[in-house]
Amino acid sequence: MPDFKPPIVQVDQVHKYFKRGGERLDVLSGLSLNVQEGEFVALMGPSGSGKTTLLNLIAGLDTPSEGTIRIGDQVISSMSETQLAKWRTRNIGFVFQFYHLLPVLTAFENVELPMLLLPLSAAQRKQQALNALQLVGLEHRMQHRPGQLSGGQQQRVGIARAIVTDPTLIVADEPTGDLDAKSAVEILDLLCEIRRTLNKTIVLVTHDPRAADRADRILHLEKGKLVSETT
Amino acid sequence: MFPMHLLLAAATAAPPLTLADKIVAGVIISICGILMIAVLARVPLIYNIRNLFVRWPITLLTGSAFTLVVGLLVVMLGFVNGMYRLTENSGNKENIIILGQGTQDEVFSSLGFAAVDDIENLPGVMRDDQNRPVVSKETYVIVNQPITNPQPGRPKRRFLQLRGIEVPDLSGLVHRVELQGEWFSTAGVRPDPSGDASKPNLVESVIGQGIARTLAGDVGKESLTIGDQFVVGDRRCVVVGLMLSRGKTFDSEIWAKRDLVGKSFGKETYTTMVLRATTGKEAKRLEDFLKNDYSKGSIDPMLETKYFANLNGTNQQFLYAIMVVAAVMAVGGVFGVTNTMFAAIAQRTKDIGVMRLIGFGRLQILGSFMLESLFIALAGGALGCLLGSFADGWTANSVVGSGQGGGKSVVLELTVDWKIIAQCMLFSLVMGFIGGLMPAVSAMRLKLLDTLR
Amino acid sequence: MKLLLMMLKNVRRNLIRTILTAIGTMILVLVITGIWSVLEFLDNATSEKSQNIKGIVTERWQIPSQMPMSYARPLEDYSWQGPDNLMTWQFYGGTTDPAKRTFDSVFFAIALEPRKIHTMMDELDTLPPAEKQNLVDIAEKMTLKREGVVVGPGRLKLLKKQVGDRFKVTSFNYRGIDLEFEIVGTFPEGRYDLSAAMNRDYLNDAMDAWTKKAGKPHPMARKTLNLVWFKFPDATVFNDAADKIMNGPDFKEVPVKLETASSGIANFLEAYRDLLWGMRWLLCPAILVTLSMVVANAISISVRERRQELAVMKVLGFVPRQILILVLGEALLLGIFCGGISSSGAYYLVNKVFGGIPFPIAFFGAFKISTHALWWGPAIGATTAFLGSVVPAWSARTVKVSEVFSKVA
Repeated sequence: MPDFKPPIVQVDQVHKYFKRGGERLDVLSGLSLNVQEGEFVALMGPSGSGKTTLLNLIAGLDTPSEGTIRIGDQVISSMSETQLAKWRTRNIGFVFQFYHLLPVLTAFENVELPMLLLPLSAAQRKQQALNALQLVGLEHRMQHRPGQLSGGQQQRVGIARAIVTDPTLIVADEPTGDLDAKSAVEILDLLCEIRRTLNKTIVLVTHDPRAADRADRILHLEKGKLVSETT
Repeated sequence: MFPMHLLLAAATAAPPLTLADKIVAGVIISICGILMIAVLARVPLIYNIRNLFVRWPITLLTGSAFTLVVGLLVVMLGFVNGMYRLTENSGNKENIIILGQGTQDEVFSSLGFAAVDDIENLPGVMRDDQNRPVVSKETYVIVNQPITNPQPGRPKRRFLQLRGIEVPDLSGLVHRVELQGEWFSTAGVRPDPSGDASKPNLVESVIGQGIARTLAGDVGKESLTIGDQFVVGDRRCVVVGLMLSRGKTFDSEIWAKRDLVGKSFGKETYTTMVLRATTGKEAKRLEDFLKNDYSKGSIDPMLETKYFANLNGTNQQFLYAIMVVAAVMAVGGVFGVTNTMFAAIAQRTKDIGVMRLIGFGRLQILGSFMLESLFIALAGGALGCLLGSFADGWTANSVVGSGQGGGKSVVLELTVDWKIIAQCMLFSLVMGFIGGLMPAVSAMRLKLLDTLR
Repeated sequence: MKLLLMMLKNVRRNLIRTILTAIGTMILVLVITGIWSVLEFLDNATSEKSQNIKGIVTERWQIPSQMPMSYARPLEDYSWQGPDNLMTWQFYGGTTDPAKRTFDSVFFAIALEPRKIHTMMDELDTLPPAEKQNLVDIAEKMTLKREGVVVGPGRLKLLKKQVGDRFKVTSFNYRGIDLEFEIVGTFPEGRYDLSAAMNRDYLNDAMDAWTKKAGKPHPMARKTLNLVWFKFPDATVFNDAADKIMNGPDFKEVPVKLETASSGIANFLEAYRDLLWGMRWLLCPAILVTLSMVVANAISISVRERRQELAVMKVLGFVPRQILILVLGEALLLGIFCGGISSSGAYYLVNKVFGGIPFPIAFFGAFKISTHALWWGPAIGATTAFLGSVVPAWSARTVKVSEVFSKVA
């Protein structure tokens, strides 16, 4: 990675706290973090360490109480909710522990869903969705509904949906948490493959050491602070 | 409710926008807005429709309520529409109807003979090819007739509307009556066909198709035809002609020679006189003249169209009753949708979260769920309109009148037209809109991060 | 008992849904109660009775019926136990505002013998003593002061007058007989809300005076008696009188007939037959079905949401029958409660506060909610709730524990 390129994710002195009653509850306190383009970063830490909150902030699902977050050339920490929604469509792909597919849509339609928000023709949408499904190896099951697919297959659809809009960043929250060992390995292989071939940046939250092992860097969080970093 | 307002507006002069109209206008604009959001903002329609099918039992239940309410509304409006048609069709804009002063109802009217004698010779009154003034001089009576073989539990008498006329073909011309058969003769009677000279003569009569069907029920026939006999008062009558008068008030009337009618029922004077003017404009001028400058008799002249419009009073009353009933039944439909959609949203909180995550905005979520309830309304309403429109063409008995008692009993034909369909569809969509609004707003207001927990 | 408590708790669980369903139920029950009350009243009015028969004498053929007043005397001979069971009706109509003749200025009075108001008129002859005494006093005043009239409260409001006021009426049906009246009392609320009654002598004397002055009879002179009411104890007496009146020698000038009031009313209602049929067989069933669907919808949603819970209950040892009762009971509870509130509320409000449902059909003005409504409401509520909840309740009963838990991730 050339050094002169600025990091794609810049988290700078970010605080996140909630007011509960009169008490202030700090979830993240003064956290800073950079991720380079094409990097695969894993966030680990015990429950309540703030890793999911950090992921939500990076993905633009939430805004920090203090500090700035810059993704690419955009400062997302100061965007309004509507701006964030638009920004997410183009820039972020999500992968979840419980897949979060819409149960009434087919695999194909689930993958197509985010593209409805982009100025694409029906033919373009179809082509891109097919490409994404091919990439995850599910083109033969694209007319199936989530209920008809195994957990691993559902997660592949989830990944296809995450990459179909060609986002800047893929965020994954425990993507292997609900899978058996074999499927988990397959999903991790797939993520690595995608990162390699498409040069995607991936930020992953996990408890699973096998998942973390695949990352370039592992960041450990505790009580809202980065405590260590392993490469 | 809105559709009825439109109908009222059409029937009377256009009233200024009421508050209700404004509210409804707001709802229509909102519906259009949602449709625009759906199209422009690329709401995944297929998602909503699939969901409706997935929980089909509930969709069906909710939709059926719409079908019922809308179907019934179509039938009821078709009924009132039939009444309006009847009164509209019965009046001619070139005709002036003259009643005795102070009476709105022919039954109570009394015109002196002398008083009206020279009216027919006024300029502006149309003449036929034999240069006769086209005028109908009539005596109208309602006869309380015993039914010969009343069915058990049914009334023992019925009211017959009898119109004595002087020159039958002229009266036919004035009222634009098409006749099957012939008008009665100058004598107005004919000997009994059995040839038995001791039997009294039969009164020759011309009757409407509606009353022909009613009377036929007594003798077990579908409809009386020419040559059939029936009784009015204590006189036997014979049908010499049938008026092809469906959709007019005359459909329920029996016409016979005036002298006979008057004598039999003790009404020696005219009750009614109807003039045909050369043109509609001339008719207005004549009406004006008779009202202000004619002093020989105490009369109340009125354009025939206006006279029949006054008979819409009962229709208005029915319409108000229908509005109340429709509004009440709408509550059922609305609450059904509200319950359904609240449940749907509770079930699909995660879906909403995912869509928001992917980048769908709050308005799109609102639009998406509104569309779902509007779709139920659309499908249920359309089916209701379809079922309701089967009522088109049914005949029914009713009463048209000024709404202050009295009136004419008529046979009308239920008329479901596109206007009614459009109004009922709109009504259905408004129900769907109102029912879906609260749940959709609650879906819109869900916090993104809460939905995914 | 525990089960009942659980039902109550469930009803309270989703408050919005419960409230919506409750309001829907109440409004629909209200409408049905109203319609049934009207239909029941009309059914009663038109069903032939074998005792306490009311008979009406009218002109045999023509409508409106117009008979000579001289018929009143000989008709008394046919009245059972004398003239007390007979009442003459003459109609006098006019306007207080001859220049404009607006609807509000119409004054329409029944001309009668004052004491017949409280002895012969429907509903007024069966008033509680206090109200009845009021009418007796009014009748007394009308006898002494012949221009006295009793007016319904609704009509009084339209006329913008009060008791004690005097006003002049320009008649439409008796031209030239313009009379001045003084309001001496009001009818109770309800059926006679828009009616008025006057002393018949006042009208008849005015007619005689006109004739004397003009030197010729008034055009309406022989047409002032519109109808005569009789009370008969049973069908035999009625039939006997009917036979004598219709075939007797006294009524040749204008032929007359005697028919039962129910049959007379039935004739008038014949014109509205299809309308009433539609109310009875289209509107009411449609409302009932809509109601059942609203309930079914609400209950099936609540069953769906609670599948897991119901499965847990089964695990805990509840038998299917108890679960069925739980779900059915919840619906019935709500249905009976709302139906009862709605119909008894309607009964009270319509009858005591508004004085009847205004539904102008034939010559009836307003209708009271039937006392039967007090059980109709809960019954309708219960029936529709049962119909609406029986399927969801059955499906709740048959919840398969294994299936429900296998779906929970």
